Amino acid sequence: MRIRRLFKWTRFGIFAVFGLIVLSTSILCIYTVDTELSAEYEVNTQNIAKTIADSSAGILLNQNLATLQSLVDQFLEVQGIRYIYITSETGEFLAHTFVPGIPEEILESEHSNTAPVERSLPGMGDFIEVGSPILAGVAGTVHVGMDLDVVALKIQRAIGQQVYLISVMLLIAVLASIWFVNLAAKPLGELLAYAVELAKDGENDELGERDLLARDDEVGHLARLFLHVSRQGGGRGLPANTSGTE
Amino acid sequence: MQSSLGPEASNNGNWGPLVTRKSVMRSGLAALLVAPFTASSLVAGRGQESGGSEDESSDWAEGRGATDEEIVLGVSAAFSGPSRGLGTELYRGAMAYFNHVNGNGGIEGRRVSLRLYDDGYQPDPCVQNTMRLMLEDKVFSLFGYVGTPTVTRVLPILKKFQDEKIFLFFPFTGAQPQREPPYGEFAFNLRASYNQETAGLVDNLVQIGRRRIAVFYQIDAYGRSGWAGVRAALDKHGERLAGEATYSRGEKFTGSMRKQVEILQGVSPDAVICIGAYAACAAFARDAVDLGLEVPIANLSFVGSENLLKLLTEGQDDAERYTRQLINSQVVPSYEDTSIPAVQEYRDLMARYDPQVPADLVQEEYAPFPHSFGSLEGFLNAKLMGEILRRLGPNPDRAGLEEAIFSIEDFDLGISERVSFSPDRRQGLQSVYHTVVEDGRFVPLDDWGARFG
Repeated sequence: MRIRRLFKWTRFGIFAVFGLIVLSTSILCIYTVDTELSAEYEVNTQNIAKTIADSSAGILLNQNLATLQSLVDQFLEVQGIRYIYITSETGEFLAHTFVPGIPEEILESEHSNTAPVERSLPGMGDFIEVGSPILAGVAGTVHVGMDLDVVALKIQRAIGQQVYLISVMLLIAVLASIWFVNLAAKPLGELLAYAVELAKDGENDELGERDLLARDDEVGHLARLFLHVSRQGGGRGLPANTSGTE
Repeated sequence: MQSSLGPEASNNGNWGPLVTRKSVMRSGLAALLVAPFTASSLVAGRGQESGGSEDESSDWAEGRGATDEEIVLGVSAAFSGPSRGLGTELYRGAMAYFNHVNGNGGIEGRRVSLRLYDDGYQPDPCVQNTMRLMLEDKVFSLFGYVGTPTVTRVLPILKKFQDEKIFLFFPFTGAQPQREPPYGEFAFNLRASYNQETAGLVDNLVQIGRRRIAVFYQIDAYGRSGWAGVRAALDKHGERLAGEATYSRGEKFTGSMRKQVEILQGVSPDAVICIGAYAACAAFARDAVDLGLEVPIANLSFVGSENLLKLLTEGQDDAERYTRQLINSQVVPSYEDTSIPAVQEYRDLMARYDPQVPADLVQEEYAPFPHSFGSLEGFLNAKLMGEILRRLGPNPDRAGLEEAIFSIEDFDLGISERVSFSPDRRQGLQSVYHTVVEDGRFVPLDDWGARFG
């Protein structure tokens, strides 16, 4: 019906506002999740490195390298951790998890460094590596490499779930707004049709018995007002091109 | 007692059922009724030992681990996967002796049986099997485990349950963790250590001028144990490792080791010492020869010499090409030397009983060898275990195990070296033997200079 045109911009406005909400929420969500999860993974990796460092102090002092390797192997089962290596205070590799050998980049790195560092290892991928000193560094250093691809995948999954939820909410909101607009537009359309009929044949008695006139809302008031004006105006007709319907 | 081991989800059906809180709570009743006889992988002896009465089960439930009729030893070993030959050979040798003992009235009237679980040479299943053996099966002792990564993970369990006096006897590993504090007191070893094996190899190689020694090793506790042994042995000669390359446990012979060979070629070694299992070490030896790395390639006893040789020679037109550089370290004498009384006894009993791994545990085809270093080691392990059980007297009790084993002094196992144990000596044998391949079999290496100088 023509009356729906009144709400075209309303619907567009609702859609635009919700779209803006989704977009801004998603951007904020991506930023927050990315930042928080990245930081969390880094902290977790640091904690793992510290745990290994704390656990390995006694083992190292006893030179029980098989047990040390066993310890390292168990931590490798933690999701996202792709490599672990332990260097002595002189830089010798005492335990590691690399196959088929220790990458050149790691061989050449500063072994006592414990600050987070991003590494790209050929054939292995991209990693964030953190370190933890063993006995304040005098017994060596533990290094743990977290797979950035796994972290990125986790972040993407978390973001995807949130964006999916927001998108579903947007869809529900748009459908609901359309339904509400239609709900409001239907009696207005009936009112418009009624007004057209009054304009064409205001003296018709049947027009004074419509259900529309019994409504106690604004549409009912307007219908009664149109009838009243029509009856007082002597039923002057409307121009021929005013059909009242689409 | 600790009663929970986590979910059953990881079982995969490759090994015995796992222990859960619920199952442990039920274990007393289960022991009385059916549990010891229904586990799919349960085996005792060659079947004749597998039976038992409910009275016997109740004794287990009481924690003795032995009944008037039977002493049960618990085994978790590799009977599946690329290293299945190791568990199989060790088991065959042990059962040859135990069958002989049982056929002659047992020990103090009790037959000795083995309760077997397969761990596939993987640590987690080994831990689960051990808990089951200790808590549900309530075995007398643990015996004949295979591998360092598996045993290393089990040792803390033995410490946790140290009041139960369950010891691990004669594991098939030469690693240090079960020889040193804090876990050394819970295990008894027969074989020489990896440190002794690697020292023997390094000393001889250095002596013939091969000082640049690189290591190819399994990246786990076993490989690291051997790596540390080579490193320490080189250090005594003022040398350092020339280089290293690694592989992941479970590699098959069909896999490629070319990257590892290329890494080691880059350091131009005079020799390579391999610390691995037969499938991967055979693949490395094959690829080394194919890529032109023509240096001595040494292996430790754990490798499984016969399986290594079989992989390298089977279907090869020029098999000698792949085996002429091999040096294999052994911790038992040659099974070809019938002048050694224990070897003759081993050969006789292997021929008489020809023990086979129970069908329930066989998932992949494996053709056992009539004789092997592994089965000879299993035989010697069983022979010494039998002696320990005899020394426990008519009322075997775990509490008396340490006293029984420490009473063993200059004991003649039937090989040239005598065996002694004491609180400070928990490894029976110290000898290491070196072998090379000639005419398609491993023979003693007498002259390093002539062969590799």
